[in-house]
Amino acid sequence: MWDWIADRYDLFTGWAFEIVLQPLMYRLGLMDWADEAFLWMDFLVFGLIQVVVVVVVCLPLEAWRPVERWESRRKVLTDVAYTLLARLGILPMIGFVLFFAAQSRIEAMIADSGWVPPTLETFLPFLREEPFLALLFYIVVLDFAAYWHHRFQHRIGWWWALHSIHHAQTQMTFWTDDRNHILDDILAAAWFGAIAVLIGVPPGQFPIILLVLRLAESLSHANVRLDFGRVGERLIVSPRFHRLHHGVLSVGAEGKNYGVLLPVWDWIFGTADFHRDHYPRTGDPSAPRAYVEGGWLRQQAAGFREIWRAVRGKRAS
Amino acid sequence: MWRALLLVLAFWAAPARADLAYVLNSGDATISVVDTQTRAEIRRIPVLREVHHLVVTPDGRSLVVGDSGGNELIFLDPESGAVQRRERISNPYHLEYSPDGRYLVVASLRRDQVDIYEAASLNLLQRFRQPDKPSHVAFSPDSRWAFVTLQGSGQVAAVDLEARQTAWVQDVGPEPAGIIWHRGRLIVGLMGREDFVALDPSTREVRIAFRVGRGAHTIFPGPDGRTLYATSRVESRIAEVDAETLEVRRIFEIAGGPDCIAFDSEGRLYATLRWTGRLMVLDPATGEHAQIRVGRSPHGVFVMPRRPGLDAAFAFQFPGARSGTRPMEAPPPPGLAALDGYVPAVPVTPVRVEAGSPTSRLRAPWR
Repeated sequence: MWDWIADRYDLFTGWAFEIVLQPLMYRLGLMDWADEAFLWMDFLVFGLIQVVVVVVVCLPLEAWRPVERWESRRKVLTDVAYTLLARLGILPMIGFVLFFAAQSRIEAMIADSGWVPPTLETFLPFLREEPFLALLFYIVVLDFAAYWHHRFQHRIGWWWALHSIHHAQTQMTFWTDDRNHILDDILAAAWFGAIAVLIGVPPGQFPIILLVLRLAESLSHANVRLDFGRVGERLIVSPRFHRLHHGVLSVGAEGKNYGVLLPVWDWIFGTADFHRDHYPRTGDPSAPRAYVEGGWLRQQAAGFREIWRAVRGKRAS
Repeated sequence: MWRALLLVLAFWAAPARADLAYVLNSGDATISVVDTQTRAEIRRIPVLREVHHLVVTPDGRSLVVGDSGGNELIFLDPESGAVQRRERISNPYHLEYSPDGRYLVVASLRRDQVDIYEAASLNLLQRFRQPDKPSHVAFSPDSRWAFVTLQGSGQVAAVDLEARQTAWVQDVGPEPAGIIWHRGRLIVGLMGREDFVALDPSTREVRIAFRVGRGAHTIFPGPDGRTLYATSRVESRIAEVDAETLEVRRIFEIAGGPDCIAFDSEGRLYATLRWTGRLMVLDPATGEHAQIRVGRSPHGVFVMPRRPGLDAAFAFQFPGARSGTRPMEAPPPPGLAALDGYVPAVPVTPVRVEAGSPTSRLRAPWR
């Protein structure tokens, strides 16, 4: 069954590439980017599938037991725009075009230094024959990195000036997951790029796992009254667990529940809050109006202004 | 006399094991091992990240697979597919041993580097920074020169392996990819155009060699030494080219983006279909063909002969059956067409090779 689905997927992406994208690239004189374009198209099609799966799962849940009901969902539309830009490959493609040359240079400089970047499998050779297990190891390591990345976003003043966009949403839904300033996205890429130099990038041949991870992250933002029970709450970040992180009393350096996928890091580093059995209102009361009310473009422009103010020390953290 | 007879009998009596095709699935970090008789994938070998090209060691005992994303070379026993060893090196995209077996030259497409390693020890001897996207490697028959296509800058770089320096860089046309040494010249596929060009390394003169259609890509000498097979990506076809005259004899229309080609000892082609996750088998003598489902974005391919009397050395024993892009030694062809205004001498009617299902059997649609 899975093989049949994978085959149809390959045939569809192959057909779309051959009929639409590749002739266009040839016409534009961009054939030396054909391999990258194929990967990008794969990203786009898979991103589309991700969005559909997330919507199919999360929308009924939000309708079933919503934490909040709103007369207007206008603010949610902004988050829909964020998701489509991020998941349909538009922002990643712009980032790729802008930074590919720089990335090549940096990788070449690293190679020139004699450093051959290892992989996690270099340190744990038994993972070589078990790529699925290797992926699970990567998930744990990268989730640990994501936890600290997230803590720094809250702790460092100028970084919080950017990340506040993510927290300013007062109508938090599963669409909010991708609501980030592009500078914040670039910083995240640099953060995880540095980690990739140390342990490599995870294997990418398990799309179902990636789909489940994506679903879990989106679900954690969903406007749904849902927890995973006494044990489950300690294993996977639930909508309740993450809503506490987005609560109005949990912004900036006062935050709790920073975990992205695994709550265990909050447990270990003393930032977990498993006991609040309520579902607080979300938002950042100190965020500028544009962060709360604005559309994508207005929020991005405001983000540049706010980080400039923060760097000059004119913004309260 | 009796001994000779016994040898002949043993040859005929020995069980003919099926050849093995090794297919590098660049999109899902695996190597498919395909039984060419049953056309079934019998094994998947996990690798670290992103495998693109492979080459046979000069002694024929190993198949060397470059994992560019994993910064690793994987040495496989071509008889069994068993992993013999792994070596960490920087970003091995395309790789070739020099004909004398002394050097291993590696092109790092994404790091703009060409590396020369001592083949036996894998010690890095020299690293060259290249202008943009070094893609494929070929050698002169005397092993003095390595030639590298530079995809991003539309050039071919000539690396002097003795002096260990780049001797010259020549413009050849937009987005050059595959390259072979062919009878004193280099044949280069231009992805940004419809044709392959011939570059004379002594004069650095560039002429159109033949036309295959939009997105000319890679070229491989057939085992008989009389035929070249060239692919085009956008047109999605394989052209059968006369090695002597460089005239396109036949064109096979093959959906799915044919990329690398390997041959078995009977002259059948095994081509990876990059965009549809398939390996295509085509017998150019009969026109029979079949497709086998492999992994995602299959790229490099190698066929290991396992019938009596043949081994991996087959890959470079027959006139055209060289490992990868090793040189074919033969007299240069008569005058090549001028660069501008070239039209193929004989209009070629394309032969459509249907996509077929992963389990489709060999068949000859145009007979």
